[in-house]
Order: sequence, then structure tokens, then C-alpha cells
Amino acid sequence: MPTSTVTATHTRTNTATYLTDLILGTVGDLLASLGIDATRLYRDWAQDEAAIKQWILEASLKKLVLECVQPNGTVAPIFEFPVTYSATGLGNAAFAAQRAKLARYRAKLASVPRGTTYRIVCTFQGAHSPMDGWSPTKRTSTAGLKANNFGVLGSGPHATASMRVLS
Amino acid sequence: MQRSREIAAAPERSASETVSTIGDLFRDTLAASTLELDEVESALDTARPALLALVAGGHLDGNALVLVAASLHLSVTTVSGDRAVGLDENLAAVPGAAKAKTWTLYLPTPDPLATIVTAAAKQHDCLSVDVPPDDAKATTQAASSIDLDAFARRKE
Repeated sequence: MPTSTVTATHTRTNTATYLTDLILGTVGDLLASLGIDATRLYRDWAQDEAAIKQWILEASLKKLVLECVQPNGTVAPIFEFPVTYSATGLGNAAFAAQRAKLARYRAKLASVPRGTTYRIVCTFQGAHSPMDGWSPTKRTSTAGLKANNFGVLGSGPHATASMRVLS
Repeated sequence: MQRSREIAAAPERSASETVSTIGDLFRDTLAASTLELDEVESALDTARPALLALVAGGHLDGNALVLVAASLHLSVTTVSGDRAVGLDENLAAVPGAAKAKTWTLYLPTPDPLATIVTAAAKQHDCLSVDVPPDDAKATTQAASSIDLDAFARRKE
């Protein structure tokens, strides 16, 4: 009896695309939950999407950091999205996201003062490609902030994104 | 005329690519009518921030965009994750809008995006966050009852 098999080939590009959407989509959801104006996020979406995808593809992105800047200068909360990589890929590992868990988490977020803005900072491991719209900067100190680990946000065959919140 | 389409999102397409693909589907579908395509373009541009948020957040996986034009009632959802890879898509223009004089794109307002989606909808007459009408279902029922009546008369 003839048999056949179907094999799905997941590329590093698939993983980079998936995690980029997951992280940026989460940033958008968090800003919306906090009532922070996200006009700039969606205006610059194409360039930011291209940059983060490239950095995940080359495994140079260590963390994407979302800093909420309150009108009095306080920077909190801070959301960190560390990305870890698998050198060989995880075979038939699925693309998975913890969206339901994230929705429950968002519902418990403390509010921020009106007029709070945000900035996105990326940290790297090793060399990374220069990308349009991004320039060197330093992230805000997290000294004195209490960390809360959300855990894995989502994963693909070649990388995993997590979330940690400092407030 | 109720139709639905599934669009592959991440990891097959980025959010930007997914929004472009959905826009192309709406554009091609409405091109069969005499509607002003400039207005279609401006509506899609206005909706873009909301569409990006809905797609990237995975919200369109369970909440449809609904395009209503003449007898066409087109529901568009996205597919994310494993099922998106190799999804059998139909991206061809959807028939039913040829006689449209007006059209409306109904945007879902899932938590926490109600504010941003509503703000986008308020900026264009062809965008709405109202519950979409169930016109296609009504049309189908009407057509069905007419057919049944016709069959009944033929039997007499």
C-alpha cells in the first residue's frame, strides 16, 4: 500500500516573523491596556517590524524593552522581552503563544498617570545589523524596581520570547 | 451573499504583509463596482493602525473583519501559528459587490483595542465598529423561501 507523509518545514524566517509579531503585538496590547497613546508605534510599524525581525533572524536581539515614561519622570512599569535562541532548531516544535495568559495578565495591570509616554529600547548579544530608525541609546536603570516574571510569551522552532515586568 | 476568507498571518506573513494582503482582497473585491477606489484607499489607510494592532495581537483569529457592499457580506479572519504555514487560501476577488453604491468595513473591538479601533473608525465614513448587519443570512433565507414556494406551485 503506498504511503505518503507531509512534512512542514519551519524556517528561521518563520520563527523571526512569528516572534516579531508576538512581541510587537504584545507591546500594542500593553500600551492599549495602560491607556498610553500608541500612534507612534503604528506609524513606525514597518521599520520597527523589519528591524526586530532582522535581529531575531541573526540571533542578535537579546531583549526588547518597553519603558513607560510617566509625566513626573518616573520610568515604570518596564516590560522586558528576552529572546533565547536554539542553534539547531527544535525539529517539529510548534509556534505557540500564551495569548490567553497574557489577556489575564493585562486585566490586572495597574494604571499609569495620564500623559505617560513610552520608548522602546533593544539590547544585543554580539554584532547586529544597523536598521533604519534605530540609533544607539542606553536603557533606564531598573534599580529599585521589583521584577515579576511572566514566563514564556511564545516560541517557534528556533527561538523563544519571554516577558518580565519591573514596577 | 455570505462569504468568508481566512488569511495566513504569522509565521507565514508579518503583520504588515497580512494587513496588505487583506487590503488587496478588499480592494480587488470592491474594484468590480463603480465605487471610488480613492475612497477605498483612504479608508484602508485610516484603518491601518487598527488593522496592525488587530493582526499582530492575534485578535483577528477569532474576531472577523466584515465587509458589507450590496449583497456581499464578507467575513475575513486570520490564521496564526502552525496552521498558518501552508494554509490553503483563496485570495481572489469575492463576487457580490458589483452593484454596490456604498460599502462599510466593520471592525471588531476586542479587549484591549476598543479605543484605538473606535478612534480609527470615527475618522472615515466607510469604517464602523457597529455590529455588522446579518444581511447575507436574511438574503439566503429569502431566496430559500422563494425557491420553496416555486417548487410548491410547480407541484400543484
